Amino acid sequence: MRIPFVRGGAEVLAEGLRRVLTGLGHQAEIVAIPFKPYPPERILDQMLACRLLDLSETAGTPVDRVIALKFPAYLIPHGHKVIWMIHQHRQAYDLWQHPLNDLHTYANGGDVRAAIHAADTKLLPQSRGLFTISRNVAVRLKTYCGLHAIPLYHPPQDAGRFYTRPAEDFLYFPSRIDPLKRQDLVLEALALTRSAVRICFSGPAEEPDFERKCARLARKDGLRNRVQWLGAVPEEEKRDLYARSLGVLFPPLDEDYGYITLEAMLARKPVITCTDSGGPLEFVMHHQTGMVVEPIPEALAVAMDSLWDDRERARQWGEAARQRYDDLRIDWDNVVEKLLP
Amino acid sequence: MLINWFSPLPPAQSGIAHNYAMQLLPALARRHEVVLWTDQDQVASHVQRIARVAHYDPAAPPWREINNGTISIYHLGNQPDLHSGIWQVSVCQPGIVVLHDLCLHDFFFMLWVHYRKDPGSYLAALERWYGAEGRQAGEAYCKGGIGAASMAQQFPLTREAVRGALGVVTHSGQALTELRETPACPIASLGHPYLAAAEAHYQRWLAARKAAPGPPYRLVAFGYLSRNRRLEAVLAALAGMPERAQFRLDICGQLWDEGNIRAHIERLGLGSLVKLLGFLPENLVEHRLSTADLAINLRYPSMGEASGSQLQFWDYGLPTLVTRTGWYASLPEDTTAFVRPEHEVHDIRSHLRAFLADPGAFRAMGARGRQTLESNDPAKYADALVQFANTVWHRAPVVPALDLAARIGRDLSAWLHPAASAYLLDRASREIASLTDDRRSAASASERQSGLPLA
Amino acid sequence: MRIVVVTSEVPFIRGSAEILAENLCQALSAAGHAAELISIPFQQDPPNRIPDQMLACRLMDLSEACGVRIDRAIGLRFPAYLAPHPHKVIWLLHQHRAAYELWDNPLAGDLIHHPYGPVIREAIRQADRELMPEAKAVYTISKNVAGRLRRFCGIAGEPLYHPPPHASQFHKGSAGDYFFFPSPVTGLKRQLLVIEALAKCREKISVRFAGKSDNPRERAACLEAARRLNVEHLVEWLDWISEEQKRELYANCLGVLFPPMDEDYGYVTLEAMLSSKPVITCADSGGPLEFVVDRQTGLVADSVPEPLARAMDAVWADRRCAAAMGEAGRARYADLKISWENVVERLLC
Repeated sequence: MRIPFVRGGAEVLAEGLRRVLTGLGHQAEIVAIPFKPYPPERILDQMLACRLLDLSETAGTPVDRVIALKFPAYLIPHGHKVIWMIHQHRQAYDLWQHPLNDLHTYANGGDVRAAIHAADTKLLPQSRGLFTISRNVAVRLKTYCGLHAIPLYHPPQDAGRFYTRPAEDFLYFPSRIDPLKRQDLVLEALALTRSAVRICFSGPAEEPDFERKCARLARKDGLRNRVQWLGAVPEEEKRDLYARSLGVLFPPLDEDYGYITLEAMLARKPVITCTDSGGPLEFVMHHQTGMVVEPIPEALAVAMDSLWDDRERARQWGEAARQRYDDLRIDWDNVVEKLLP
Repeated sequence: MLINWFSPLPPAQSGIAHNYAMQLLPALARRHEVVLWTDQDQVASHVQRIARVAHYDPAAPPWREINNGTISIYHLGNQPDLHSGIWQVSVCQPGIVVLHDLCLHDFFFMLWVHYRKDPGSYLAALERWYGAEGRQAGEAYCKGGIGAASMAQQFPLTREAVRGALGVVTHSGQALTELRETPACPIASLGHPYLAAAEAHYQRWLAARKAAPGPPYRLVAFGYLSRNRRLEAVLAALAGMPERAQFRLDICGQLWDEGNIRAHIERLGLGSLVKLLGFLPENLVEHRLSTADLAINLRYPSMGEASGSQLQFWDYGLPTLVTRTGWYASLPEDTTAFVRPEHEVHDIRSHLRAFLADPGAFRAMGARGRQTLESNDPAKYADALVQFANTVWHRAPVVPALDLAARIGRDLSAWLHPAASAYLLDRASREIASLTDDRRSAASASERQSGLPLA
Repeated sequence: MRIVVVTSEVPFIRGSAEILAENLCQALSAAGHAAELISIPFQQDPPNRIPDQMLACRLMDLSEACGVRIDRAIGLRFPAYLAPHPHKVIWLLHQHRAAYELWDNPLAGDLIHHPYGPVIREAIRQADRELMPEAKAVYTISKNVAGRLRRFCGIAGEPLYHPPPHASQFHKGSAGDYFFFPSPVTGLKRQLLVIEALAKCREKISVRFAGKSDNPRERAACLEAARRLNVEHLVEWLDWISEEQKRELYANCLGVLFPPMDEDYGYVTLEAMLSSKPVITCADSGGPLEFVVDRQTGLVADSVPEPLARAMDAVWADRRCAAAMGEAGRARYADLKISWENVVERLLC
């Protein structure tokens, strides 16, 4: 699916997969259908629209496989469809009635939610293979739809270009500035740290209200010098920041997957995350490759102090993280092998 | 307009071929380009002089050639060997269906169960239109538990024959309504086309009749004589009349069950009065009709068909005996003698006696019948048919739209939650309608009055 | 402004339509807009599924994304241009040609081979007639396409020319000893006609064909004909060439042959003009006729071997005239003021 004008993880994944498949000698193309999920009845329209499309052949030559990534595109019929699910339409599932989402505020929100559930439950099993990008997504699928899916990890973009350097005096939090990523929680925690922990934030800000809230928190009592806002940075600079950081902060709310966790591991850095962060929990091992703490400022503050105060341990955790990454065999060859047996 | 015409053609033994098509095609082909599509091995040479004859294999019709035409007109009737190819093509390509019989149960039964050994399709069709009750009746019928007439009356399967048609033509809209099998597309009721013979011909026939006055008076029955042509009733009526020797009965036509009829004739001792002449070629038909005194044209139960042969009898000025049902019930009172279905034998005898008492009165009835033929002018029929074709062709986009709607319906029923179906079905219907609506096109309808589709 | 360019695509097929859509997006970006390309997959076989995809496009909502308005939608191809938008502009590449002028074309009509062909054709025409006027403005890529639109649908479209890709990189070289015919090998481009004409030429003419063939049968037919007519030695087949090689071949040819059947637009004509070369085309070639001026910038011949051969002979024999026509072609291109800036300005006005 494509939401016009929004660049996000899904495009990166799709493009990565396409490149890998082409590299292996297949003809691979990305078919991106526009998706506007509001008002809720539009979702129904677009579900039907996807059912009406035909990808069985092009100009007389059969299309052998379809790999579908997102709702509602994964509803497009095809005789040999494999689903590698980035996520379902979360607003109808785990984010239903979440304050940050609005499907439930519409009069027909409940009806549309029921329709999404029914469609997923009835049509997903028609695929020849059902995979997800993480165990987190697979668990949701099992919980809400009773469907069994296999988690299949993939590398972040330019995985081979991450490197490490001796740690400098800052923790790094790369992510778009968004309530679900919880920069505000981190700032509240920063105010409670005992040591003079410094944090570098990078990433575009697309939520003006949230941006203002974070700016306000960062201006409090002596935090001003300890916080840096870099905005959107080019990939090279991002990799450099990873490399030089002491550790990486990534405590999002129920992330599907989380490239950041993997990028940190590739850069041999420990990760601080939270017990409700979702995807990162599949990679971060508490007190081995980083820290997993309660999503409250006090706990995060303790975690940040831990890293800050024991640099050697932080370095060791970073090395262990890299080892874990390698052990997990997160590479495109593995992905293609599973998707196209 | 280039018309793809699909009907039985001479020498096929069918009233549609000899009466209907031969009456209409000369008039139609004079005004429009017509291609006569056939899957028959043979087509009479005089037909080829009227319009180009093209052959098709029902299993693999030559669509490229067929699509040179503007619209296809399919003629359906109850004889599977003559109409199954036509029906097969009509299923693939929407066109106009002309129903020569309204009740087509026998056609589908013969085609699917008998010829194709595919009772599944037969039962599925019954279920499609008549639900579980239809399917159960079909199963019982296949086992022999229900009579054919009853089956045909209850489950005529007319709508099956016109599924996906752009338009339907019948000879009697009344009869179609009575059947309660109204198709979902426009219907036109056009009287049967018939070009009355020239007055000079008619006079010759009258002279031939005068030159061979009875008694014995010659009764004739013509055509594809199936069970519903009531031959048994006629034979029973004759057998029970002391005056029977004043009549001769010539049965000219293909008999549905020749052995049975012969046995019947023997059993009733009518061997010297009744002759089975089989299907007669054109030249012998003229002789038979011009020297006949009364034509027996009974039908019960009516299959909803109009009778080309009735018009032919009138052409010869022949008085006729018809059953008061279906199309025949609408014939003017003073142009034919009527037989009530519940009192067949009685009414037949009573009319035969009346004939003996006053043959002239009957001849006058025949003459009045001939006068009504003016309104059956084939040129008028041809024009009406083409006008209807033009009208329904503008509905052409509706067919794929309905198809799409059915497909969506099937798909949605597999996954759409009831809570959302009202909205989505409505939205889908409205969008499909907007794709096929011709609000704007209606405004430029003047461009189309010439009858030619745009480019 | 935020603009979506909506087109349909056949996955794995990349042709001039895809390139045009991308170039349009680039031109819009260059003019300071945020432009995105939306390509809807379109499968035309079996034809009775075409209405499904028309409906799929009608069900799309391009009015906004993430709460921010999308200001314009520019529709390029069937059925994508049916997608609704409050401010939609159509820049028509071509309609679904099999339902229109290619209906009974022996080389390309495919709907006519299906039993449902006629009713689908009517459905497509009906939808175009009813729904194209939803657009605030309808443009076409050429007068030829506009003419068809008026003839079949009674809709007026304004022709709006655009440059071929990499227009600035075409150049004039020397006048070599070959005619150049770059095009995919298909019946509609009529390489076969050129081969048949070549057999009737009096001059000893050399022709270089360049272009892939999606259909091996078409290619084989051409090779067969060349063999049969004994002109094998006069023709050269260059299957796949790079853009740079193509420009060189243009630059150094004597003239360009481009006699397609009813071409929508025809980059080849413009590329030839940009390379200052005369163009030989046919009276029924469509698009090229909007640019080639007979006996000034090239020659227009009847689409039969004999007259085409005469035209080829004429250009081959008189090099000076050929060069002059080439120059005139280059001047004509300049006069027509064909630019992406102009396209963007017209589409968004």
